[in-house]
Amino acid sequence: MTEFERSAGAGVLAVWCMDWPAVAAAAAAGLPATDPVAVTLANRVVACSAAARAVGVRRGLRRREAQARCPQLHVVTADPARDARHFEVVTAAVDEVVPRAEVMRPGLLVLSVRGAARYFGSEQAAAERLVDAVAAAGAECQVGIADQLPTAVFAARAGCVVEPGGDARFLSGLSIRQLAAEPSLAAAGRTDLADLLWRLGIRTVGKFAALSRGDVASRFGADAVVAHRFARGEPARGPSGRELPPELDAVMSCDPPVDRVDAAAFAGRSLAGELHRSLEAAGVGCTRLAIRAVTANGEELQRVWRCAEPLTEDATADRVRWQLDGWLNRRRDDRPTAPITTLSLHPVEVVSAAALQLPLWGSSGDDDRLRARRALVRVQGLLGPEAVQVPVLSGGRGPAERITFTPLGDEPVPRADPSQPWPGQLPEPSPTVLLDDPIELLDAEGNPVRVTSRGLFSADPARLTSSPVAVLATGKGELSWWAGPWPVDERWWDPEQSANGRTARVQVLLDGGGPAMLLCYRQRRWYLEGVYE
Amino acid sequence: MTAAMNLDRDRSNRAEQVEHLRRKIAGMSGKASGSGGSPWRGPSPSKAALPDSETLLPLPESLAGRLPGPLPRGSVAVLSGARSLVLQMVAAVTAAGGHAAIVGQPDVGLLAAVEMGADLSRLAVVPDPGIDPVEVAAVLMDGMDMVVLGLGARSIAPTRARAVTARARQKGCTLLVTGGDWPGASARLDARVCGYEVTGAGSGPPTPGCGRISRVRLDTTAGGRLARPVRAVGE
Repeated sequence: MTEFERSAGAGVLAVWCMDWPAVAAAAAAGLPATDPVAVTLANRVVACSAAARAVGVRRGLRRREAQARCPQLHVVTADPARDARHFEVVTAAVDEVVPRAEVMRPGLLVLSVRGAARYFGSEQAAAERLVDAVAAAGAECQVGIADQLPTAVFAARAGCVVEPGGDARFLSGLSIRQLAAEPSLAAAGRTDLADLLWRLGIRTVGKFAALSRGDVASRFGADAVVAHRFARGEPARGPSGRELPPELDAVMSCDPPVDRVDAAAFAGRSLAGELHRSLEAAGVGCTRLAIRAVTANGEELQRVWRCAEPLTEDATADRVRWQLDGWLNRRRDDRPTAPITTLSLHPVEVVSAAALQLPLWGSSGDDDRLRARRALVRVQGLLGPEAVQVPVLSGGRGPAERITFTPLGDEPVPRADPSQPWPGQLPEPSPTVLLDDPIELLDAEGNPVRVTSRGLFSADPARLTSSPVAVLATGKGELSWWAGPWPVDERWWDPEQSANGRTARVQVLLDGGGPAMLLCYRQRRWYLEGVYE
Repeated sequence: MTAAMNLDRDRSNRAEQVEHLRRKIAGMSGKASGSGGSPWRGPSPSKAALPDSETLLPLPESLAGRLPGPLPRGSVAVLSGARSLVLQMVAAVTAAGGHAAIVGQPDVGLLAAVEMGADLSRLAVVPDPGIDPVEVAAVLMDGMDMVVLGLGARSIAPTRARAVTARARQKGCTLLVTGGDWPGASARLDARVCGYEVTGAGSGPPTPGCGRISRVRLDTTAGGRLARPVRAVGE
């Protein structure tokens, strides 16, 4: 077939899925491909399936007319987003066989044939592989190969391979109306041009190509010149496929296997350097990093670190070290049974490097923030990742649950939304010391005070015992004032929570100048929750 | 001769002299003027007179009028007694745009600080600083405007304290020490609760079962080199 080599830069393969809007509509509706389907736009049929065509449905028919010809016709309106969504599967299937395909429209792909032909042995073999791959993805297609991109598209519609240098000869036999058949190659007025040429007696593309360029340009305008160029098979642009996403993973096989933390830290540092070079080359920063390790016994360990800001190289190295430290120093039974042989870093989520760029002149306050952050990161390096906690206001009712602590570097996400209304929230001021010590609240007779299911005291409280703070105070735990109980109605619908009984809070003031305290009743016990001082 | 005259003139204005010496100390301790673009740090020798915001620590309003003198940045103060005093300081510093860290106080109620006006995004907490909290505080001085250090009744050797004090002065970071003593601290503040206000419990002594605590009254005593012994009663 290919006795001549295609000239350099030429050779385009087009993959055409016929009636794609109808195929996509059938797939979206869950119909088999053999059902008659028509896609309409502005009451006219713009695409129909082969089954519909067999019973006389044609493009351009009115909807009612199409339904009259085929009563069981499934009619849907055109939706370019649906076409594109379903075509993504085909694109992925083609990318698996030959990368860097350009999608001209949903239903039509073009790609450069040279590499594929060399890889699969011949253009025919490459075309066969592509047809198989698309069929495996659940679509039907025709493949055409030619020197130039427009010719390849027409060859795909005919389902043939045009031999090298034979573009003009192949096109010359086509009807002039074919010039307007492919919407992705034709400008808006192409149908009028084809009509005009038809009426002038120029019935084939070959006759149009035989006209001189000057005559075409002076009589029919700019779009006609474009059409004339490809009618002659003159060089057009090649396919410009999308770039593959760059491979960002950094993998290291450890030899000898790593079983000590210091060796792991060393490995982590060089791996972080490698990852950051590839991130830098791709112009992105990493905000979610997966650290994976495989041990000699085949155990796989993985953890994803999520960060509020793009990770720097040092921060990545720190995280690798902390993670390996954690894995290697686990308790006996959880510890990996063999040393680590493979270590890999996989950026799960990346952002554009613009987010990493510091302003040239610095901005007020930002400088301070960075310096503060650096100091905190150093403390993290000394004490471990969980040592530095950043508080953030959270929703809730008690004083402790209204502050959420997250380790520095993690995204500060409150446990509950603080902007929601929280009925029953304790009013200001909040206790300045937060504790959680069991305590006894007694009535005048020395019996323990309970909170009933109606949210009342079983008896008026009179004194406190077993409180470290109360011992410090001058009195013997006698109360001079108390207020409450303020019941907390939380999660009563949850059987596990409601089994623990009522939760309530009470403020008490100790006799003899002792401190004011906040007590919390839960699980049928009193706890000293906070001290006002 | 001129020097003597200068000195005389300086003496006539004590505040100016203090300012002058403070600037000299800052210059000698190598605090570079270009260390930050913020108005927060770095006394700059090129400026004739420094605004107070660059050399003095913002104090809580309830304390500002009542303490005898302001706390300069880079000084060490020992706070004892009620926790509200620490939180008021934290609130004042973070609200004014500074960064603060609390080391070794796992039981601190930060919600109370928020109610006093603290900005939590400028606050970090190291609840468990390990065996050497002083070391952690010294590291944090690099970037913070104020570090609250809970000693947990540890005692600090005077030589160690001197080194850390010098570091605090050089970095312009105020160190507030609680839960222990600090040899050579320039100010000592002690706060005691002197009463609670209860709203909604009638006049006179509050009736049990009614009302709620609405205010904590503090009695602050200041001492130390920077502050003449004085008592102030605040919120």
